[in-house]
Amino acid sequence: MILLTIDALRKDALGCYGNESGLTPFIDSFQNKCIRFTNAHSPSPYTQAAFPGILTSSYYLEYGRQKMLSEKRVLISEVIKKAEITTAGFHSNPYLSDYFGWNRGWDLFYDSMEDEVDDKVPYVKAGGINSKVSTWLSSHTGSGVEYPPFFLWVHYMDVHEPYVPERKYIDMVDPTINLDDVEMFRLFKDVLLKRDVSDAGMVEILKKLYCAHVREIDDGVKDFFGILEKLNLLKDSIIIITSDHGDEFGEHGGLSHDGKMYEELVNVPLLIYEPARESVDVSDLLVSTLDIPPTILYLFGLDPVDTFEGTSLLPLQDYPIKGVFGEAVDKHGSHEKGEEKEVHYYLEGGLKIIYSETDDSWELYDLKSDPKELNNIIDTSSFADAMNQKVIPRIRRYQR
Amino acid sequence: MAIEKEISEKRKRQCSKLVDISKDIVRQAFDRFKPEELGVTWTGGKDSTLSLWIIRQVCQEKNIPLPKTMIIGEGDEFEEIEAFVEKYRAEWDVPLEVCRNEDVLKAANYTLNAPVTVKDLNERNREELKRIGFDGEEFPFEAESYVGNHLMKTVVFNQFLERNNIKGVVQALRWDEHPARFEDEYFEYKEAAHLTPEHTRIRPILHFTEKDLWDTYPAFNIPYCALYEKGYRSLGAKTTTVKASDIPAWEQDLENTEERGGRRQDKEKAMERMRKLGYM
Repeated sequence: MILLTIDALRKDALGCYGNESGLTPFIDSFQNKCIRFTNAHSPSPYTQAAFPGILTSSYYLEYGRQKMLSEKRVLISEVIKKAEITTAGFHSNPYLSDYFGWNRGWDLFYDSMEDEVDDKVPYVKAGGINSKVSTWLSSHTGSGVEYPPFFLWVHYMDVHEPYVPERKYIDMVDPTINLDDVEMFRLFKDVLLKRDVSDAGMVEILKKLYCAHVREIDDGVKDFFGILEKLNLLKDSIIIITSDHGDEFGEHGGLSHDGKMYEELVNVPLLIYEPARESVDVSDLLVSTLDIPPTILYLFGLDPVDTFEGTSLLPLQDYPIKGVFGEAVDKHGSHEKGEEKEVHYYLEGGLKIIYSETDDSWELYDLKSDPKELNNIIDTSSFADAMNQKVIPRIRRYQR
Repeated sequence: MAIEKEISEKRKRQCSKLVDISKDIVRQAFDRFKPEELGVTWTGGKDSTLSLWIIRQVCQEKNIPLPKTMIIGEGDEFEEIEAFVEKYRAEWDVPLEVCRNEDVLKAANYTLNAPVTVKDLNERNREELKRIGFDGEEFPFEAESYVGNHLMKTVVFNQFLERNNIKGVVQALRWDEHPARFEDEYFEYKEAAHLTPEHTRIRPILHFTEKDLWDTYPAFNIPYCALYEKGYRSLGAKTTTVKASDIPAWEQDLENTEERGGRRQDKEKAMERMRKLGYM
């Protein structure tokens, strides 16, 4: 059982989700073995708030909102390890590091914080992560055909800013982009970090660099599958692939991912790769990344855990029709106002309501007719009250 | 002084095997580099003292002096370590260079946590700050902060290599001290980079676990710093290192508890990564 997560990967960057630029040829190539969820949502638009969903099936504002992982949250690794199944996690995201408590329950936990990285690529890339995974997998599975079951989590950072992709991948996206590393890094500092969307041309270049990173990570995923194949593990591995959030390129007036709840940030790719499958199963069910830990337990045949707030995605036909919640702290707004401001969303039946405490604003969008969330119908929709009532009980509920 | 602990004959043979592997790495290092091209890093801690002891064994068998050895003076040292280092520097005839970033120490007025103003620093240090992406105007003088670590340790290390034209440098890392180490190799070539000379890192004691190490000390009567007896397991800067327990390091549950008790550095590393990713 493998969980593969890719930081900041937008759903619409993947070919299998309709992107026509050919950024993910490898991921697209194994779709016949996947359940592909088209309507999967992350509860939050940045790692620190999204990963409690993916690995602990809990919402961010619950149990406090610190960087430090609350002892009250149960990590999927802890449950699996307790069942005497080997667990290993490999990643390079400081928010998920040993120091903040994410190392609980892993037999091997590699967070790369001891490694040297440079400014332009401030994380260990997929190649480095894969090499560590390969070493571990070889030693765990040995040379024999029989090996003890394991749960492996691999997280790649390669799509995350700063966008300084390798030349080869820039050429695949747009060979006319003629920037060197230093210039790309300057774009990061002067445009992206300042959230400056005034120059549409610059934003377009940033997006292309991001796309080059997506093309790059597709190769990273390919190498990872290659390792599994070489060790003869692929035929027995169920692999859940998702991301913690997307990235914004001016769709709602900003860049990166600070605390907005629009679809480019929270509608994430979610694939379940099943080796025995012969054709793709596209599911439009509204699901949440909080459903991932219960799904993993289901696949291991383990009992549900009380603190998990999600529902197993499998068996698919038993999954209930329900809405999804999201919540985070608006980093930008909080910074400006000097105190933590919450942001919430709720999505059901194609309607999405967003509450922002920063300016005490409500927005309602009909995603079917307005998928880009440009037309706020909070004052005109007859559903506004009903949607409103779903979110109100969740605002500041942990501070009362 | 040596640890008073009964080690079985069988265990002694095992430890001796581990030492032999390390000696072999050191011999290979002498085959690849001239003695004057080799350097050794020493902190007075358990790992680098074991490593230095092993190198000394090889040097004695070859009848050559120890290679040039560096110790970093970061301005926040335990007196016990200083005393230990001084004693064995003399006894083992270690050609020791105490390496400090004097420029930074001076700018901080030799006072811990004092603010260091960037424009008071020399050009090299300012260039180094630029290299690591620090663009603030001042930082507190503290060796285990990100900036402090770079200026007080990394820069000083690189300058040691540069000054002595060192081509191979011995580091006392172990695979089991941290998951990040488990893929390290005995010899790792580092290409030259901006402000960093080309060199090879040599890691002769990679295969020692913490437990192996504490059995090898008494098996060979290797001297150690007294702080380990007081319960310290991993030594860093004085003000940021905490005791793991009150019993000697070798009597602690080495396999089921964390070796690296002082977590200050881990926090700094995570924070710095966040900053580089564009947060905060």
